[in-house]
Amino acid sequence: MLTELLTQVFVVVTIALLVSIAVFVGRERLLETKAAWRSRLRVSAPTIVTLLAVLVLNRIMRQQGEDISGKIGLHMTETFYRLEGEFVLIFQSIATDELTAYFSAIYVYGYTFMLVFPVIAYFALSDTRIFRRLLTAYSLNYVIGLVLYLLVIAYGPRNMMPEEVTVTMLYDNSPEYRHLTREVNSYDNVFPSLHTSLAATVAMFAYQTRSSYPKWFPVAIVLAVSVAISTMYLGIHWGIDVAAGLVLAVTCVALSTHLVDRWSLAELLEHAERRLDERGRDTE
Amino acid sequence: MNRNSTNPTDGVSRRSVLAGAAAGLTLSTSGCIDSVESVVGQDVTDRLALSITTVPADNDREAVRIARHLEANLKAVGANVSIDMRSPSEFHETILINHDFDLYVGQHPGGIDPDFLYGALHSKYADERGWQNLFGFDESPSMSPPEVPSEGASEIPTVDELLEEQRRAGDGDTRKDVIADLLEKLVEMKPFDSICIPEEYRVARTDTFGAWNGDEGDGDDDGGAGHFPTRYGFLDLDPEPGVDQLRALITDTWPTRNLNPLSATIRDRGMILDLVYDSLLTERDGELESWLAKDVEWDDGSLHIELREECPFHDNEESEEDRYVTAEDVRFTYQFLQDTSLGNADVPSPAPRYRGRVSVIDDPDEDIVIKDFLREHSRKLRIDVTTNVESVAKRALTVPILPAHRWRSQVKSRSETDTASQGEWGLVTMSNIPPIGSGLFRFVSNSERESLTLERNDEHFTRDEDGLPDVGDLESVTFGIDPGGTAVDRVVNNSADVTASMLNAHALKNRLDDDEGGDITWLGPQQSETFYHVGFNTRTGAFSTPRARRLVSRLLDKAWIVDDVFGNHADPISVPLSDEWVPDELVWGDEDDEDPATPFFGSDGELDVDAAREAFANEFRYDDQGRLRL
Repeated sequence: MLTELLTQVFVVVTIALLVSIAVFVGRERLLETKAAWRSRLRVSAPTIVTLLAVLVLNRIMRQQGEDISGKIGLHMTETFYRLEGEFVLIFQSIATDELTAYFSAIYVYGYTFMLVFPVIAYFALSDTRIFRRLLTAYSLNYVIGLVLYLLVIAYGPRNMMPEEVTVTMLYDNSPEYRHLTREVNSYDNVFPSLHTSLAATVAMFAYQTRSSYPKWFPVAIVLAVSVAISTMYLGIHWGIDVAAGLVLAVTCVALSTHLVDRWSLAELLEHAERRLDERGRDTE
Repeated sequence: MNRNSTNPTDGVSRRSVLAGAAAGLTLSTSGCIDSVESVVGQDVTDRLALSITTVPADNDREAVRIARHLEANLKAVGANVSIDMRSPSEFHETILINHDFDLYVGQHPGGIDPDFLYGALHSKYADERGWQNLFGFDESPSMSPPEVPSEGASEIPTVDELLEEQRRAGDGDTRKDVIADLLEKLVEMKPFDSICIPEEYRVARTDTFGAWNGDEGDGDDDGGAGHFPTRYGFLDLDPEPGVDQLRALITDTWPTRNLNPLSATIRDRGMILDLVYDSLLTERDGELESWLAKDVEWDDGSLHIELREECPFHDNEESEEDRYVTAEDVRFTYQFLQDTSLGNADVPSPAPRYRGRVSVIDDPDEDIVIKDFLREHSRKLRIDVTTNVESVAKRALTVPILPAHRWRSQVKSRSETDTASQGEWGLVTMSNIPPIGSGLFRFVSNSERESLTLERNDEHFTRDEDGLPDVGDLESVTFGIDPGGTAVDRVVNNSADVTASMLNAHALKNRLDDDEGGDITWLGPQQSETFYHVGFNTRTGAFSTPRARRLVSRLLDKAWIVDDVFGNHADPISVPLSDEWVPDELVWGDEDDEDPATPFFGSDGELDVDAAREAFANEFRYDDQGRLRL
């Protein structure tokens, strides 16, 4: 069932990517990228490696995290519920079959597409800085998110009020998705909403690069807002998780500006060589 | 020892910590000052603050809904209530080991004989950890006046006395009367409130395995129900040609992480442990049958047992002495369950599981006599028990028999550094993978939180013993995890053969009557031993009196719960036993559909707030804002 679902997601997202590349990126940039991909890859290698390492870590923590979390984590479900009450049920009152179908699709397909497309789009830009910043922001989202997951044990609205969110609950309407999300995340990791933070991160980058990709910007905004709403609409996250996701996104985007190009690996190497040379000369 | 771990002050301080964290969070996000004040405000100190511990809906949607029903009604009468949500293993740790709860909603494992109440309620277990008396229920506290008791009062037996008496009452009507008294006492004292017995359903594929009910060929008609969660569920399954693996689904991840037979936090009723470990007797359709014991004879207070020949443990020990299950292993098991430190600790440290079952053996050292002791590997023994009820005595024979040669060394090496505190020390909490037993299946591999694989034990006595069903061509069983919601779909889609744990009511919704189109069959409904209940922590100030507990019980509309939450796939109950044991006064009222002992304040799930508040006002105090105070 899982393989089937993964294939389905893969096919849908690939089609969306091909269309978007044609529409947003354009032939010219692709040709340019074809010529320059080696050097761009070389410059970006450290950030790519970092992101991959973070993703592997994320994968490992999904297995081990619950045990660590059980020892140090703070139970917050009751606190969240006390603070915001039944706020997310607002979305239940506007629910229709069409909206449920839309938000379910956004949560699974739209979100995946939204994360992958900017990676391709920014790699196609001649200046690799924005590409490296995006990957750095992704890494930061995961790392900070992971730490918060260890510290905060909380269950989402669907676990607290199953009956009240039953109309739109993703897993009631499309139970097969549970297998997909189980692969990605443990059910007590709801604070913050990484769906929201990553989508908002992408939207902020879309804003900053709107001169390069003017048509992508509005699409990214609509998608990001939809993703954030979908997490609450489908009963997966509390409003607090979404708010925290937004804060996390702003933090990560800001940090990525500060961090990227602060230390160039090439420069560091040069610097180290020079120091070694100097030391060598001193001892002579 | 642990009596005061959850006194009101502790509860408040724990909440204040949470509230403090919450305050910081809110201020940084939304600035919602009002709600912060209501959380950390001064009135917390003596306002009745309760938390209801339960598991997330993904694990048990019915439990959450009962908890929410109770939460809403407690709020309506003015209590400050919250829901404390824990994953299944943490839930069990919280209520069974730490006793850190006010109220909880969950399933009780129950038992095939009313004697399970002995372990569940006897006051001598009030300080222990595990399923035994987790409510801390003790009827003889300082409250009862020490001065000369009036003659009338002394004639009313306590719960403890009734629990003991039903073990001495012999089989038949006398025992039934004692149990009737016990149940009446129980609804009066309410250490817990029984809600309903769920119908057990499972779903299985028919194109991979033929006989799900073990009823093909032998004419054994058991109404279409399978034998899960007992060993018999895995016997005589008749796989189709080419099929040699059973893909079963379970709801809890715990067995994929820990198969320690002593662990109190395991959620299923020991089904997987029963496959790896043999016990002397095994359950089939609510009756106990010979298993590892070839023969058990009951002789007024003594069980005469003869073990089967040459039943090897899974570790294939070289030495003849350790290789096969002997009377010595049996005696060791009972000694060990009575004291897991084997005398190395200052005070005995009984196993947090099986406590009630083995309590009929007073002193294993003296009461277990190995016969033919001149023979090296004796298979005959006699167990003297402190009951004259055969079914109570035989319950003691359903515990897993452990290999002495493996556990004895573990105890030795651990008790040198550990104080062996009951229910908490390394030996009873460690992850015991691979487990070594003598059962139908042996451990092959596990992937934490994902799966567990067992393979057929070719040397098991069922393989060559005539007249016993066996696992046949089935070579292995793989247990996958499905918390519940999608289990049926996975069987329909052929990614599993059977749901080995019972399906929750939500998974059944609108499905039982549907023709799924696939090659599947429903197993059930089966009478369950488990029951949903609300447990009270009688150690806490709020629930120290039976009156308070009875009042809270009256906030539960069991008829509505069964109908709305369980879709009528459950039977409402006022006591935790089924038909034959229940006295007429406590039989669920079919006509008025309400609890005969603690009727709901209201109807159809709607609380009659005025009536409830009026009743609560007699027991608690209301402030001028209508809030309930201690």
